[in-house]
Amino acid sequence: MQKLKFVLNGKCVEVEVEGCARLIDVIRENLGLTGTKEGCGIGECGACTVIIDGDAVDSCLYPALRAQGKNVTTIEGLAKDGRLSALQQAVLDHHALQCGFCTPGFIMSATALLNKNPKPSREEIKNAIAGNLCRCTGYEQMIEAVLDASGQTEIDNDSA
Amino acid sequence: MVDEKDYLVANNLNEAKVLMHEHCGNIHVLAGGTDLMVALREGKRSGRDTTYLLDISNIQELKAIERKKVTISDEDCNTNEDYIRIGAMVTFDEAAHSGLLLKTAGALCEAAKSVGAQQIRNVATIGGNVCNAAVAADSLSALTILDAKVVLEDLRGERVLSIGEFITGPGKTAINEDELLTEIRFKPLEDYYSAFVKLGRRKALAISRMNVAAALAFEDEKITEARISPGCVFATPRRVQSAEKILIGESPSEELFMEAGEEVSKEMVRITGRRWSTDYKYPALSAVTFKALAIAYNQAKSDT
Ligand code: FES
Ligand code: FES
Repeated sequence: MQKLKFVLNGKCVEVEVEGCARLIDVIRENLGLTGTKEGCGIGECGACTVIIDGDAVDSCLYPALRAQGKNVTTIEGLAKDGRLSALQQAVLDHHALQCGFCTPGFIMSATALLNKNPKPSREEIKNAIAGNLCRCTGYEQMIEAVLDASGQTEIDNDSA
Repeated sequence: MVDEKDYLVANNLNEAKVLMHEHCGNIHVLAGGTDLMVALREGKRSGRDTTYLLDISNIQELKAIERKKVTISDEDCNTNEDYIRIGAMVTFDEAAHSGLLLKTAGALCEAAKSVGAQQIRNVATIGGNVCNAAVAADSLSALTILDAKVVLEDLRGERVLSIGEFITGPGKTAINEDELLTEIRFKPLEDYYSAFVKLGRRKALAISRMNVAAALAFEDEKITEARISPGCVFATPRRVQSAEKILIGESPSEELFMEAGEEVSKEMVRITGRRWSTDYKYPALSAVTFKALAIAYNQAKSDT
């Protein structure tokens, strides 16, 4: 067992983990935050996406001990003082989820995008969420939700 | 289940070399981890038998993309050459957006962009991709048309091997147990126009089914240099000189590119023999080659 210390959703956490532990297991099992989902476990579905130092990564492929000293954000870290983030709200407004299993991962990918690029184009949004599989929505509403959260209406974006 | 591992972190190159030496044969390098983490869980690959994992992601020396002068010592002379050096831990995302690589190795940027999802590009590394030597590794054909070399280091010093010498078979490389792949270097292809075209199953995620990297240089409307390397086709990455020869000295045209594409497919059959998949692969490889050449040529046209 080795000591792992990192910042999770703004709070410093410390856990003992095995050398080859995956970040997803530490987040879900050791720290009890089950918003991050495991779909495939091999880096294909993106359900496990979290943000590490600004970048979206698959937590099922991420060695837990590599998070040492880093800043990790999960879906639980997005709402502030009980208020949903603009993107979370837009996902509800646009009915951009059905079963919801892919939703936390998708929201984390799109949040990483919006943090780097506050006014992404449709293409940029598609590219950012290409690693998030959704078997329910057909993606269209997800793209609209991201556009909405970035303050762009469809019309704005098409003419841009 | 995975066996218990000891997770070691090297903070600089020397530390990494010392650890590799100390635990020689009992240590596995963890680069981006996108393949190894899966392999460890499935109990596949050598990673399972080693006690130590070595995380090299904190080593700054391995993260740079830079232009560098390298002294080449030949039998009788020393020459200074301009090289581009890509640190082994440069991620696909960093490679895809590097201004220096866009200028000197366009096909490699395209190959990097074509890799997996954003989440994978953010962590997977060029060095890791080369070390895995998967037949389907996306970066290999693009590195092959660059005539790229890999630098291997251990406590005693360094060796420089071409990609062809380094990769000895599917999933097999010439790396020694205590060596680290530290950089990939190549001479900048400044006067070339290069392209990378991939035939994937699903655009976002498929590791290549088949891809072609191609580079062309022109003078007075004639092709002066040509490099073509198909990926996912041969057991080890190589260029197809017979197809390159068809192009050199000629004026670019659709017919010429088609002929070169056909020759790449013929070479595939010569080397790998006819297989059940040949009927499908033969026209596909010709078409992908054609497309790569056409894209490279179009860049040249729009540049003038
Ligand atoms: S669970 Fe991590 S990518 Fe599917
Ligand atoms: S809402 Fe069901 S998988 Fe996306």
